[in-house]
Amino acid sequence: MTVTSEKHALDAETDEEFRARLRDFLADSSPGPRPKDPGEKVAWTKAWHATLVDHGYAGPSWPREYGGMDLPFARQVIYQEEIARARVPGPLGTGLGIVAPTIIKYGTPEQKERWLRPMLRGDLVWCQGYSEPEAGSDLPALRTTARREGEEYVVNGQKVWCSAGVIADVFFTLVRTGTPKSRQKGITYLIIDRHAPGVTVRPLKDLAGGAVFAEMFFDDVRVPVTDRIGEENEGWPLVRTSLGHERAAGAMNQAATYRRILSELVDLARERGLTVDPLVRDRLTDFEIRVRLIRYNAERIISGILTKGEPGATSSVSRLMITAFEQDLHEFAVDMLGPDGIVLKASDQAVQRGRWLQGFLMTRASTIGAGTAEIQRNTVAEQVLKMPYDPAMPPR
Amino acid sequence: MITGLTEEHEELREITRRFLAEKSSLTQVRKLAESGANRDDAVWHQMADQLMLQGIAIPEEYGGAGYGPVELGIVLEELGRALTVAPYLATVALAGQTLTTCSDNEARSAWLPGIAEGAVIATLAVADETGEIDPAGVTSVATSAGEDWKITGTKRFVIDGVGADMIIVAARAGEELALFTVKGDAEGVRREPLAQLDPTRQVATVNLDNALAVRIEDDATAVLARVADLVAVALAAEQTGGAAATLDMAVEYTKIRVQFGRPIGSFQAIKHRCADLLTEVESARNAAFSAASLLTQDDPEGPVAAALAAAWCATTYTHAAKENIQLHGGIGFTWEHDAHFHLKRAKTSELLLGTPARHRARVADLAGI
Repeated sequence: MTVTSEKHALDAETDEEFRARLRDFLADSSPGPRPKDPGEKVAWTKAWHATLVDHGYAGPSWPREYGGMDLPFARQVIYQEEIARARVPGPLGTGLGIVAPTIIKYGTPEQKERWLRPMLRGDLVWCQGYSEPEAGSDLPALRTTARREGEEYVVNGQKVWCSAGVIADVFFTLVRTGTPKSRQKGITYLIIDRHAPGVTVRPLKDLAGGAVFAEMFFDDVRVPVTDRIGEENEGWPLVRTSLGHERAAGAMNQAATYRRILSELVDLARERGLTVDPLVRDRLTDFEIRVRLIRYNAERIISGILTKGEPGATSSVSRLMITAFEQDLHEFAVDMLGPDGIVLKASDQAVQRGRWLQGFLMTRASTIGAGTAEIQRNTVAEQVLKMPYDPAMPPR
Repeated sequence: MITGLTEEHEELREITRRFLAEKSSLTQVRKLAESGANRDDAVWHQMADQLMLQGIAIPEEYGGAGYGPVELGIVLEELGRALTVAPYLATVALAGQTLTTCSDNEARSAWLPGIAEGAVIATLAVADETGEIDPAGVTSVATSAGEDWKITGTKRFVIDGVGADMIIVAARAGEELALFTVKGDAEGVRREPLAQLDPTRQVATVNLDNALAVRIEDDATAVLARVADLVAVALAAEQTGGAAATLDMAVEYTKIRVQFGRPIGSFQAIKHRCADLLTEVESARNAAFSAASLLTQDDPEGPVAAALAAAWCATTYTHAAKENIQLHGGIGFTWEHDAHFHLKRAKTSELLLGTPARHRARVADLAGI
């Protein structure tokens, strides 16, 4: 089929037909059971995303020239709902939601060509290099330096909390090209090859015993100037770029995912005869209420975008709601299991492969990563409620 | 999928808010509350004549505007925000929605035009002991004498029962549950105001001693099932407005109150509490709105959405009202400050018409937990 006739087919299709077509595809091409071996799991996930791209089912909001689907927003929402429903693996690394919008908005044609499609296919796994040991919530305090030498930057410093750092091929980082005190006015956005000489990646064992995160060390790493996004010293505004629409559609994916997880928890409670306990029942009801509210909030954010072009105040607070929800849910699940709650996923006695305990541990990060809940609350208070700035904080 | 508010909705909100800012300031609320009045009569009539607020959810053939639960929710959110002293919840949300839900044309044409015009104050009394919209709690007895019916029983916690021109009463007619209209001044009706927490809304005990009643011809159980959901959502909207108003009040105060040489709103301890409240209030708004939309569309999810909105919005309002007092410090504890009116309204509306615990139990039942 030619591109033109495909586009015609898409235009003629109703939302429900689109949903059915997507659902059929996801059912027919499902990647099969998740391998236990970490290396096999990476290959399995990459293969799935390559399949999606090759059949035209990836990057719902992305332009077609980079392998995307270029869907109208309402269809992106349907896409996210069906992806959540199908329980297929998400993309590896942290590139899609964060660096891709930046490249789309600020990248050169050559950079787009080189990075976007491979990112979508999973051929290149991306990893975030923003945070530093002394610069997490106070990101403008970062100290990794880049010194210009001809057509190269020479990078020295350290990054931390790099999700997927161990399996990544490329890092998108913020480095200091200005004076040490220049704060956000002296920051440059660089893409660094993981295999460049002078790059060391050290897995950071997390409290669950895994190594989702890594530390990265740069020792005289030479980065071509052509791998800089935007202008020198003007990297800071790029950090805030995001495809707001894609995030909003992703909220629907989250709502659908949590709906499924809660239903599985209620089933587990029922199997174990616990729903007759009024306390258990009331806690489950609390989650039932919240999971529906998460969905209503997502719908409100989406309808705000569709009707007014902006998501409204709910979008600022929905993350606070969701992170608290997933922490509470997993902790309750562990409590509900009693002693079975402590059995690690490595044990063959683990209930449901130890997923609830694993979730309890891993969701500790959800109120820390991507800006702590405390910083998030400050932002909501200052930007939505217009409360005064804290004079003790550095100026923004 | 729930669609958002339209421009017309925003306009309705704006008009209502402007009207109430002028006619129902907190100073006026306080004056009415302290005088023991159930409304400012002039304002009540302007609401009906100028804005058609009483008729918002009444079909056009009865003189209303022909809208539904979503639009009623917008009006109630604004009335709740302003703490307006008026028998609106009772007349429009309770009695009005009961009449529009039932199919008895005689009852509808007898009462709906008067409600839409603002000429009739009405209310609803279902469960005798608790005031909830719960058929299981109906113990009053109706006996027929030819065309007429006589009702005997005691209805507690009747909202605006004293000032009502008409009360819709649930009673047992033999094996059957039935609904009746009873005129407020009918022989055999004795109404006593209840000394209770909320000075901005009146609650009565209504004694019926062979009171003359007219039967509403319909399946009362089915009508009340729907009405319970509609009322839950209406009250949730009012509570959302109250919660939003207390959050605004608290935030404004923290911007101007200086302590340790800086506005207290610049302290994280204060900011975080306000941000958490905003999370609750935004969710409350979406809960009430989503439930109203789902009920309008007769979506199967309507009843569970109504129950969760009832539970969430009630607790959010009370939480916000308590935080408002705390964030005001000492002044918030005084009679002269308005914060206590919200606390009293919040706690009262949390406990009338079904507690959050009752609504949560309903969520569990409906969601199959």
